[in-house]
This record gives sequence, C-alpha cells and structure tokens, in this order.
Amino acid sequence: MLPLDDVKVVDFMWALAGPGTTRTLADYGATVVRIESANRVDGARTVGPFIDNKPAHEASGLFGTYNSGKLGLALDLNKPQARDVVLDLVRWADVVCESFSPKAMRAWRLDYESLREIKPELIMLSSCLMGQSGPMSKFVGFGNMAAALAGFYHLCGWPDRPPSGPFGAYTDYIAPRFGAISVLAALDYRRRTGQGQHIDQSQAESALHFLTLALLDYAANRRIEQGVGNADLNFAPHGVYPALGEDRWVAIACATDDHWRALCSAMNRTDLARGEQFATLPARRKNRDELDQIISEWTRGLTAHAAELQLQGLGIPASAVQDSNDICHDPQLTARGYLTEIVHPVCGKTVIEAPRFLLSRTPANTARPAPTLGGDNQYVLESILGYNQDRITELVAAGALQ
Amino acid sequence: MLDPYRVLDLTTERGLLCGQILGDLGADVIKIEPPGGSPARRLAPFYQDVADPNRSIYWWANNRNKRGITLNLETNDGKELLYRLAERSHFLIESDNPGYLAAQGLGYGDLATRNPGLIYVSITPFGQDGPKASYADSDLVILAAGGPLLLGGDEDRPPIRVSVPQAYLHACADAAVGALVAHHERQRTGLGQQVNVSAQQSVTIATQANNLAYRIGADEAHRMAGGVKLGSLRVPLVWRAKDGYVTLGFLFGRQLGVFSQRLMNYLHELGICDVATRDKDWIAYGGLLLSGEEPMAEYERVVKLIADFVASRTKAELLDAALQRGLLIAPITTMSEVLESRQLQSRQYWQVLEHPELGRSFPYPGPFARFSAAPIAYRRRPPLVGEHNSELYRNELGLSEDKCVDLSRRGII
Repeated sequence: MLPLDDVKVVDFMWALAGPGTTRTLADYGATVVRIESANRVDGARTVGPFIDNKPAHEASGLFGTYNSGKLGLALDLNKPQARDVVLDLVRWADVVCESFSPKAMRAWRLDYESLREIKPELIMLSSCLMGQSGPMSKFVGFGNMAAALAGFYHLCGWPDRPPSGPFGAYTDYIAPRFGAISVLAALDYRRRTGQGQHIDQSQAESALHFLTLALLDYAANRRIEQGVGNADLNFAPHGVYPALGEDRWVAIACATDDHWRALCSAMNRTDLARGEQFATLPARRKNRDELDQIISEWTRGLTAHAAELQLQGLGIPASAVQDSNDICHDPQLTARGYLTEIVHPVCGKTVIEAPRFLLSRTPANTARPAPTLGGDNQYVLESILGYNQDRITELVAAGALQ
Repeated sequence: MLDPYRVLDLTTERGLLCGQILGDLGADVIKIEPPGGSPARRLAPFYQDVADPNRSIYWWANNRNKRGITLNLETNDGKELLYRLAERSHFLIESDNPGYLAAQGLGYGDLATRNPGLIYVSITPFGQDGPKASYADSDLVILAAGGPLLLGGDEDRPPIRVSVPQAYLHACADAAVGALVAHHERQRTGLGQQVNVSAQQSVTIATQANNLAYRIGADEAHRMAGGVKLGSLRVPLVWRAKDGYVTLGFLFGRQLGVFSQRLMNYLHELGICDVATRDKDWIAYGGLLLSGEEPMAEYERVVKLIADFVASRTKAELLDAALQRGLLIAPITTMSEVLESRQLQSRQYWQVLEHPELGRSFPYPGPFARFSAAPIAYRRRPPLVGEHNSELYRNELGLSEDKCVDLSRRGII
C-alpha cells in the first residue's frame, strides 16, 4: 500500500506551480483526477523540452514530469452538464486543488463557498500568483513574474549589469512544496477535528520564505542588496571558473582556511597560502578579483569533471557545472533513480523525473505516465463516479467531455 | 494545525527551514544545538554587523517558532537525554553528513528500536548513499551538480546563482513534504521511516525539466542575459524602465500570443505602433519567424518599439497597465520595495516578532499559506542559545536542579 492511497483529489491546476503539488500526492498513492479542456489545454503541454525535439501536446517532457500518476478527464466547464460531473467529483473527493485567477472559480460557481455547501468537510487549495485578496489578486501571469515581484530577479545578476534573474518560472519551483505541505497538514487536521478548510496560497508569499535572509537583512541593517555575481559573505574563494571545452565550468567554494590551503596545493601555488594577501577570509574577499584570476588560470587547463575529482579528493567543495548530458549520466543521481523510465501511450518509452525525496519503507510508485487529454474519461466516469453508459453517451453528445 | 506533534531538530546550517515549516504549522519544534550554539549562528550577515551567536540573521531566517536547547550529543549522558526526548517525539530532522549520527549511536536504526513510530528526516548534500554521498558541498556546488546553475546569468560570463543561498531551502521544503507524507501513512500503520533528501536532487526542480533534454532528444536551454534562447530566437525578459527594470513577456503561441496581442493593442492605442503591426498574427508569430516567412529584422523592430515604450514609463505605471489590461509585465522589485508592497500590506503579510534582548522588532515574511480553519501563527522569535534548557530539562523531563547544574558544568547542556 502507498502512503496516500486513501486520498482523493480533484485537480483543476495548470502550468507548473499547481500540478507540481498534485504530482507529489499522486507519486505516493493519491487518486488525482486532473481536469483539462481541449478548449484550453494546459500551457505546460506547449513548453519544452519536447521528445525528439518535436513540439506536440503529448510530447512535452515538462508536462510529462509534472503530471505523471494522474488520471486525465477532459471537461468543458462552460457546459452545464460538466458542472454536474464536477459536483459529483467533489462529493467523492477529499481535496480540491485549483490554480486559476481568483475570479474563474467564482464565475463557474465552483469557489470554496459554493463547494462547501455540498461537502462541508472539503479541503480546498486555491493557489495563484498573488493570493485571493488584495489589489493584485487578479494579477495574471507566470512564475517568472512572481519571481520578479518577490525580489529574486533583483538578487540575481552582476553588480555592473542589469539583473539577469534566475532561470524560468522560479516561484513555480517553490510553491509546489508549500502546496503539498498545506494539503497534508489540512488532512491531518481534518482527521482529528472533522473540519475541512480553504487554503489561500499566494505563490509569491510562499516563495518569499526563500528570501527571508535578504528581507531580514534589509529590515534589520538597511543593507542595500543586489546581485553580486557568485560572491558570498561567508566563503572565498567562491565562484564558477572556466574549464576545458565550450561553456564548461567548475564551481569551487572554500568554506575554511583549510580548504584554501588545500586548493593552493592542488594548484601548485603553496606560495599563495603563505602570503598575507589571501591568508584570511576577509583578505580573500577583499582581493577576490585577483584570486579568481589565479584560480581561472589553473582551471582553464582541466576538464570540469577532472577539476571536481581532484578538489573533492582533497575535501574541497567543488563540482562541474553540469549540463543535461552530465546530469543524465551523473552516477549519484542515477543511484537515486532520478530519471525513471515510463511507457507513454503516445510517445512510447520515455523518462520523467522521479520524486526528489525517498521514503525508506514506502517508496513512491511512478509507473503511470501523465494523462493524455481526456485519456481517462471512461475510467473516471464509470469506475469512480459510477455513471452508466447512457449517461456517458449523453455527456459526449452534449460536448461536455472535451 | 500540527500542535499535537513534537519535532526534534538536530540540523546543522543545512536543514533549518524544514523544522521551521513544521513549527509554523503549530508543531512543538525543539532545536537542539551543541553547547555554545549551532554553527549556523556563526554565519553572516549579523545584526548591526556584530558577530554574535544571537545576532546572526542567517539563524533568525530559519528558526522562528522553535524552542531552543543545548545538548552535547558526543557524550553518553547527552545521548541518553536524546533517547529520552526521541521516545516522546514524532519527528526527528538532521542534516549531518551521511553516517555521522549513526557512528554516534543516533542513526535511524538506533532511534527506531526505541521509538518505532519516529519519522527520521535526513537532509544531506547528495543523499544517504551513492558515489558522491561523501562529497564536500556548498550552495553553489549543489546548484552546479543539480543543473540549475548552468542556466542562470549572462551568456558572456560564467553562470551565476541567486545571491541568497537557495539549495538547502529547496531540500528543506522537500523534506517537510516527505515528513508529512510519511506521517499520513503512520496514522494507519503506527510505523515511522526514514526520509532521505538529497539537496542535489531537490534543486533539479529549478531546471524546469530541462535536465531531461539530453535523454529525450531535445535541445538544451541556454542562459542568456535577462531572457531565454528558444532555438535561434532570443527572447528578452528583462527590460529597462524609467526607474529600474521590469520583466515583460513578448511571447507567441496559442496561449501566450494572446498577451502579446493585448500589448500591441495597447501600443496602438497609445499611437506607438501602426495598424499593420498591431494586426500581425501574434499567435502564429513564433512559427513565422522560425520558418523565415517573417524576417527577423521585423521582430527586432517590434522589440525596439516595446523597449522604447517600457523605457518611457515607471515601474508603477507599467504595473498599473498590466493589472488593467492583463499584460505580462511585472516590476523587478528590490527588498525595500517588497517590504513596502501594497499587495502584501493589504494582506497583512508581515509578522512582527519582538527581539526583547535587542529592544527591537523585525518584520518576518508571513504565512506561506492562509488556512481558514487553523491559521499559521508566529508564536516565537528564533531562540537564544539554550533559551529553553530549564523549561525542557526541568519542567518537561523532570530533571532536578542539581542534575541540571551538574550537566551544565560537565558541558553536556
């Protein structure tokens, strides 16, 4: 038995921040019915990487990873018959998750106030960029925009350049964890008290928990913060250095004076370890540019992985800056089963990312690929909701199942 | 919400956020530090730049809603006290190198024999086993090993990270999810287990599945200053406004093209572009560019129109336009602007915690989610070194005053 196999979820989420939450629940056994419409397919289906580099709704590795383990039900929510199906699903479910802008669920009369009338003990997670209330509650957009508003862009860049920002929809990487945490805590609370509840998740507010350090530093010290390249308050040297090959790099971080001395011996520059100029962390921070120059001269003659091996052999924190090819061959990630093979009904054998954490006694099950659009209509309506074939035929005729 | 549960937090500087998340949800989290205080208290920045274990902002950022005690786990008496605490706890979180606590007699197996229901959460750089399990680590090194680092920064310089450490926060958030999944299962079986978290694997999420590219035969994404490269198309995402920067998405396709259409409608109303430009097929535009049907020079001309428009407006004006017209524009916000955000203030986001020993209060980032039945409460500022020793050892474990004095004298608490 899987840990969550008694948990039933109706999933109106889309893009990444929402589906990432329900993916985790599905990995560990929850029955997740993912609702999509052919009139408005999930944008994640249109974003790569695509299998064999061919964009198609069923070939997005991104969608495939964020939605594996779920059942796919196609419903056109603008059809009145579809609403009845949703209400039956809500009666069946423990948890409803949605990540539209706040007005959408109200317009369909599927907001928490409406749904609790038919299911008082319902747990409902509403996740959107800025939260259900406030002057920006209807702000539409993607995780890169919430990342800009939360401060991540300003804190990622070089001091002499415009901010470059972290890669992609950064708050979408953070929000799914807090979404899953919230649902699991609410399930525990309901088990003990019988009470359901509504969870209002602002993805920007969740993500600010990854910037608490900078926010408190500003509040307490009024420090003017900005992106500082790869500099660090507590470590020097600390940076990304060029290696042999095109766009190849090695990351090195000396946390202690011992690390620094070991690095000097690796570079055959024990003279540096003896001098005043780099003797202490403050001195190395002060003379950082010169230090980085010296290290770069040494790393340039090595492959990134050779530098990593040599430095790790001396106990110095270092890693090749890995690209997708490296990651797919990384022995450590392979040992943890990071990429797991699945068989997709349209694309055949492919891979998705496995769960990031491992449970020792009750491992996840990732055998089921992400649903094709409406791929589980029959199963959901017949086996979960108990509809007979006449009812299903009526729904098809009404155009509700697309 | 989790108030019936007790959490022992043994983490080093790597794993602190996990316990804080459970503490925010109401669990009784006991932070256990070596006598003299956790190594995390030695990390900068410090309040008023005075290096002191009770003034580390690194510490403050990850330890609210916890009680704090000191305990020397390298002594037999210390271990005995930990066993007693573990017998009456539901979760234990640790982030030492793999094998360290087991060598101390405090591994999962040691504690599970005393408390089979215990959920033992291990947060490590690379995981409990495997060829890199004993690698030396840091935030930057983890980000390099897991994939996201290569994708960040300007293409003519080395890749860069976010200037505030992120890797272990990703690991800690995954650890909290894992702990609660295991907890749900424990309600049925009464049994605990070990949650094995690898920071390297946790940060893979920040590649947006681009790590898969090689295995599935797709192009890899590449970093580009303030934007992304999609094939031969350079898509700018960071634009210079009158008083700073904004992110603006000028994108195409069935879903994103709609936003570009709205933007071009707006620019036409403002007299910035002509009808022919407004009425291009913004849905199909990406394909037209890639096929060569639309010359790249024409795309660049439109990008320049948008850039000139953005440069003539303030961040606030652009945000208003985005809100009114549903455009993909968001200001690039500084920490001071985040603290002054009308949105966050209107939601009463900031939670002020008093640090009485400093005579100051500070606004902490507020609840990560709003729960209608059981709201998150900020009950405690981060503990001082050994602040709750007496409360815990005397009142809750029932040790005598003499015993506590003796343990303290021998450097155990």
